[in-house]
Amino acid sequence: MPLRAAVVGTGGISHEHLSFLAGRTAIGDVASRVELWAVADLSAASAAYAAKTFGARAAYTDLKELLEIEQPDVVHILTPPDTHVRLATMCLEAGADVICEKPITPSYPDLVGLIGTADRCHRQIMESHNYRFNHAVEEMVAATDRGELGEIREVTIRIALPVTDPDTRFGDPNLPSPIHAMPAGVIHDFTTHFAYLLLHLAPGVTYDRVAAAWSRHSGNQLFRYDDLDALLIGDGPDGPVHARLRFDARSAPETFTIAVRGSKGMAETDIFQPYLRMVRPRTVGSRLSPVANHLLNGASLFSSGVRNFGNKLMQRGPYEGLHHMLDLTYRAMASGTDLPVSHHDMLAASALVDALLDQEATR
Amino acid sequence: MRVLITGAGGFVGRHVATAALQAGHIVRAVLRPSAPTSVLGPLVDDPALEVATLDLRSPVGLVDALEGVDTVIHLAAAKSGDFYTQFAATVVGTENLLAAMGAVGVKNLVGVSTFSVYDYRALRAGALLDEFAPLDTDPGRRDEYARTKLIQEELYRDHAHKAGNHVVVLRPGMVYGRDNLWHALLGAEIGPLVLRIGSRATLPLTYAENVADAMVLAAEQIGGGSGRLDGQIINIVDDRLPTQKQYIAAIADVAEAPRSLPVPWPAMQFATELLDRGNELIIGGRAKFPGFMVPDRLHARFKPLRYTNAKAKRLLGWTPRFRLDGAIARSVAKPSTRSSTEPVAAAVDG
Repeated sequence: MPLRAAVVGTGGISHEHLSFLAGRTAIGDVASRVELWAVADLSAASAAYAAKTFGARAAYTDLKELLEIEQPDVVHILTPPDTHVRLATMCLEAGADVICEKPITPSYPDLVGLIGTADRCHRQIMESHNYRFNHAVEEMVAATDRGELGEIREVTIRIALPVTDPDTRFGDPNLPSPIHAMPAGVIHDFTTHFAYLLLHLAPGVTYDRVAAAWSRHSGNQLFRYDDLDALLIGDGPDGPVHARLRFDARSAPETFTIAVRGSKGMAETDIFQPYLRMVRPRTVGSRLSPVANHLLNGASLFSSGVRNFGNKLMQRGPYEGLHHMLDLTYRAMASGTDLPVSHHDMLAASALVDALLDQEATR
Repeated sequence: MRVLITGAGGFVGRHVATAALQAGHIVRAVLRPSAPTSVLGPLVDDPALEVATLDLRSPVGLVDALEGVDTVIHLAAAKSGDFYTQFAATVVGTENLLAAMGAVGVKNLVGVSTFSVYDYRALRAGALLDEFAPLDTDPGRRDEYARTKLIQEELYRDHAHKAGNHVVVLRPGMVYGRDNLWHALLGAEIGPLVLRIGSRATLPLTYAENVADAMVLAAEQIGGGSGRLDGQIINIVDDRLPTQKQYIAAIADVAEAPRSLPVPWPAMQFATELLDRGNELIIGGRAKFPGFMVPDRLHARFKPLRYTNAKAKRLLGWTPRFRLDGAIARSVAKPSTRSSTEPVAAAVDG
């Protein structure tokens, strides 16, 4: 019997969760594992629209009422971050498992408390680490696991988005986003991505040296910060690892690039315009490997261009990883196996975010 | 009468505020927090103007803003951004406004909608588009604006059915005026070029000051006891509507036209139908093309149809004050710095 899923918060990101639950993504039909049962939003019109469009059985403006009447098995919490702990606690105590958008809590101690609540209620809770499950990132991890890049030495993750533009949801001065109230302001919305990707791409590394420069280059008073430049150095199973995390609101184009460098080679991708460039030893030998890398990467870049054009035409955005993650989650729930994002993954990411924020407090 | 005007800082809203002040009403103009009162121009000096600063996407401040108000003219809506951005501004904004009106007891509403809500593919070329034309009941392939305005109209209808409420919905055609002479019904942008699709289609135009008059007349009459406007839908277009070719000729001397390439309407219609069939057959209709290449959107912008303002004239007693030439002249004349209550009769056509 499929699990009954409810969605609370029917804003922009809900489109991806609801599309998955309605079986309208590339994953296809998920009806044997999960059924979209109910939705809730403070706006009755928004809840009604989501229910009608995606086929939920009921729409509510009160989560408490939804939990009491519909008794869902799983609740997707897609509301602003400052509401996550309160709503997740309500769901867990009502007997529902929780899948929550990032950042699940404002701080590590809050996450420890929330996981404690889940354990006490014998329920599961999982934070969305969606980009981990994007195809290009999975390919990078697979290459690393196969040893094609050698021992990991450095990871660079860079996000460039014009968040201070008043026409964007973060820069809108008329109804400021609730994310501005988070400790790192708008950048808090991205720190979880930085943390889980770094930990996933270079596993087993403890970053004991963290330097983070938080800035507000725009001077926009709405923003606590609009720029982060962080350097992390840690020790892993194969020796020291350097990482650079960069959030930039001033440069074009919009990017979300990830580069991993190892003792044998490097790999890089861009989440927004996916491609995979790998420079590594090829079977043609060390002399011809540079030429082989050029040719193979040229061909790969060209095919990525064609694929990305197709993705644009077919309305596929950067959320294929989210759909994949949700699919893995419901498969795990159905089989009683471990969820794809563990408590350890969530705690490690949260601790890393707090380490970055400690630099903010002492600057 | 005290009338609250949402979207008063916008292109049409400023004209509506002006017309309401000229008609002797107290105007409470709703401006968003980022909008300086200077967007209202010389109106800010009018003693009958009050300003309420709030964002309709949040209910905060709405009840206070509605205190003492007799009638609301609801213009605020989003015309750009993705679906959820427009949904928040247009649908949630309306939802919050109507809830606050209920809380305060403001019963009279002039809801402003759009011609975009009609189902253009259901109309044959040359048909009359009037208030009886079908609404788009499957707007999935229309643009975000049409989709959110259709939901907004559902909210208006629900509100009208609640006891004691008086609601009239005005659907203006394409509104033109100062800084808005070139518009989406004349062509579709492709990079630096504009495809001028068709030339003989009649344009459902209304000049900003004309439509403002209609809105104020509706506000004056809604809830007036006769109930003749209650639940009515009224289309607003001007008299003697020009074709695309005539309009472009009329603005040629005063508005810089973008570089354009003329394409006959039948050719464009055929090409988009072919593309649409291919999309359906090969990939189940999942491909997304630019708006003018989607038949539903192409028809909504360029299909040759006929229009009428008979109902507006009959129910509102409205006559468009400005004809095309006069309206264009006013649109490019030096902005007036006179007080809003000074007469403008000298500038009226005919």
